[in-house]
Amino acid sequence: MPGLSFDNYQRNHFLTTRGYGQPTATSTGTTIVGCKFKGGVVIAADTRATAGPIVADKNCEKLHRLAPKIWCAGAGTAADTEMVTQLIASNLELHSLHQNSQPRVITALTMLKQHLFKYQGHLGAYLIVAGVDPTGAHLLSVQAHGSTDIGQYQSLGSGSLAAMAVLESHWVPDMSKEDAMKLCADAIESGIWNDLGSGSNVDLCVMEVGKDAELYRNHLTPNVRSEKARSYKFARGTTAVLRESIRDILDVEETVITFGSASVDAMEVDA
Amino acid sequence: MSDPSSINGGTAVAMVGKDCIAIASDLRLGNQSLGLANNFEKVFQFGDKTFMALTGLASDVITLKETFRLKNNLYNLREEREIEPQTLANLVSSTLYEKRFGPYFIGPIVAGLDSKTSKPFICGFDLIGCIDFAKDFIVSGTATDQLYGMCESLYEPNLEPEDLFETISQALLNAVDRDALSGWGAVVYIVTKDKVVKRTLRTRQD
Amino acid sequence: MNSIAQKYTHTNNNRILNEITSARDGLASTHQLELAPSIQLPPISQPTDFLRAHTDDATNPDCKIKIAHGTTTLAFRFQGGIIVAVDSRATQGNWIASQTVKKVIEINPFLLGTMAGGAADCQYWETWLGTQCRLHELREKERISVAAASKILGNLVYEYKGMGLSMGTMVCGYTKKEGPTIYYVDSDGTRLKGDLFCVGSGQTFAYGVLDSEYKWDLTIEEALYLGKRSILAATHRDAYSGGSVNLFHVAEEGWVFHGNHNVGDIFYDIKEKEKSFNNVDG
Repeated sequence: MPGLSFDNYQRNHFLTTRGYGQPTATSTGTTIVGCKFKGGVVIAADTRATAGPIVADKNCEKLHRLAPKIWCAGAGTAADTEMVTQLIASNLELHSLHQNSQPRVITALTMLKQHLFKYQGHLGAYLIVAGVDPTGAHLLSVQAHGSTDIGQYQSLGSGSLAAMAVLESHWVPDMSKEDAMKLCADAIESGIWNDLGSGSNVDLCVMEVGKDAELYRNHLTPNVRSEKARSYKFARGTTAVLRESIRDILDVEETVITFGSASVDAMEVDA
Repeated sequence: MSDPSSINGGTAVAMVGKDCIAIASDLRLGNQSLGLANNFEKVFQFGDKTFMALTGLASDVITLKETFRLKNNLYNLREEREIEPQTLANLVSSTLYEKRFGPYFIGPIVAGLDSKTSKPFICGFDLIGCIDFAKDFIVSGTATDQLYGMCESLYEPNLEPEDLFETISQALLNAVDRDALSGWGAVVYIVTKDKVVKRTLRTRQD
Repeated sequence: MNSIAQKYTHTNNNRILNEITSARDGLASTHQLELAPSIQLPPISQPTDFLRAHTDDATNPDCKIKIAHGTTTLAFRFQGGIIVAVDSRATQGNWIASQTVKKVIEINPFLLGTMAGGAADCQYWETWLGTQCRLHELREKERISVAAASKILGNLVYEYKGMGLSMGTMVCGYTKKEGPTIYYVDSDGTRLKGDLFCVGSGQTFAYGVLDSEYKWDLTIEEALYLGKRSILAATHRDAYSGGSVNLFHVAEEGWVFHGNHNVGDIFYDIKEKEKSFNNVDG
């Protein structure tokens, strides 16, 4: 059966009623932003993934490709942003193949919002969708319940307030590409420093009309771990071993010897 | 304590070394405070150099182990080759996400070497299939917090297989000694290009 | 001014506090409770419910304050006196907070108290019991009997019944007229005299070994080993017991400490010697 399976739903609900709590899924606890500039749009994200108070991933990717020139930044439940994004990316490609034209940002947004609305907010995906298409550059956002927004600059996630403070004070219309990149990176950095749910590095993606999208993975790395002061390498033999079993893996090489090509005593049919 | 993924207890960890990986788990299966079995391995092999560790609710661990065994066998028959760690990771992710609204209470880890390039690969997942690609180590289970502490301090990149074994073993051993629901023995797999070594460790029994 | 302040002070309207204050006033003539420190209650309407809501993980799994629980302790009488053996693990939820807890409280050179349940409750009130025992000695010019000492503790915990105290303890001692005596006292108010007790989350496992090997005629050597072996069995099976075994022997001359035995070390020694624990390889 295609689609999601609800097999364990009743079991888990029963467990909840018996006083067993739900484990926490990885959430992106994120700062993501987007900003338009003259002739394009740029989006950026931090790279921290959290599970409760634990930093689960210090350098995760929150910038997802929906189409070659349409990218989106995701906040919320990490698995949902990843999966919903992959699904829409597939459908968008099929759609553009069927239509024999480049996919549009508004199409991606509509597909996302219809999908998310269908799940009534239970898919915790909060996305900033940006890209260029034959109608120009666009910057949009969609929330878990399916509502959408348009704007010259946007921010989402737990660090959205910190980021928006930067965007509100420094954004100006018709910025240059470099200024927009700087603004987005600054906004994310504001989230990295001021929001506990965000951290590590800045990822950035620039989409310019008439050009290929450019992904700057780890555009800024303001949190490089310093070299460890001391090595904690253990002397070999520290750990007491009870039993050991070794499985050698042999590579079997196959050589095909072609018959009669260079053979001297090859049979001759009509001598 | 109150959530299903910590009824049975258990912990696993994987690390990347120089042209090798290591994956390890404890051996305890319990029912809350009562230790039931000390031979409950949580690391499973899929092909020569691909491994998966499953921690969490023991019934789901077994269910998923069998599910993935089935899926892996079907893959082998269809493709006439062994599954790559990367491929298994995506298989795990989509299998878990299929149960987005009724998840299995587990925390899987996939680790292995690519069959062609022998490049090390490890990754971890949350219970609904979000992949955590890590370059250094992945931890999972009831001693997760303790393992993060151990690994962040003990781990260093590019360890030789024998050194990696000591590092992952000491990380695991010292982590489970601070967790009531893990321990009771441990196994470590060291996977290199031409050898898979499995070692059973001598541990505290309390 | 003062009366107005008092009128609007929460604690003054607190039913339970009033009850305790009046109960204590009623007991003012008895000596022992004069030195009992008064426990301050938080200025809220139902301190007991409040405490339970935030510390009792059995009723509220998400409670943030986890009181250290989980233990195995045992004490038994035999021909040569009393053996007291305990583990040394303290847990908060699944987190092992310590592996080196002293769960035997040396009340005085002739009295031992064991610790199970809330670590702070046991430690505090058994230390307090020590002072009460000393006061008894000074007043009566005679060492307190085990029965009397355990009853002081029993009465004390009964005063606080239902307010969240959590302790399961054995008061063990030797007096001329009683001989070697063990009293089990818990926070429900139970007080029992007996020959053999195991208390704590690992009690069943300890009973299993103890019951099968116990004889009155054990030598001191044998009895010490049995105590150690019973706790070892409990640390093995019970997740919330472990660390090390602390051994005590109580006889006419008072108690004697017989060492701290790390489970990590003694387990494999005993396994090898006894050819036991065949479920474990190694």
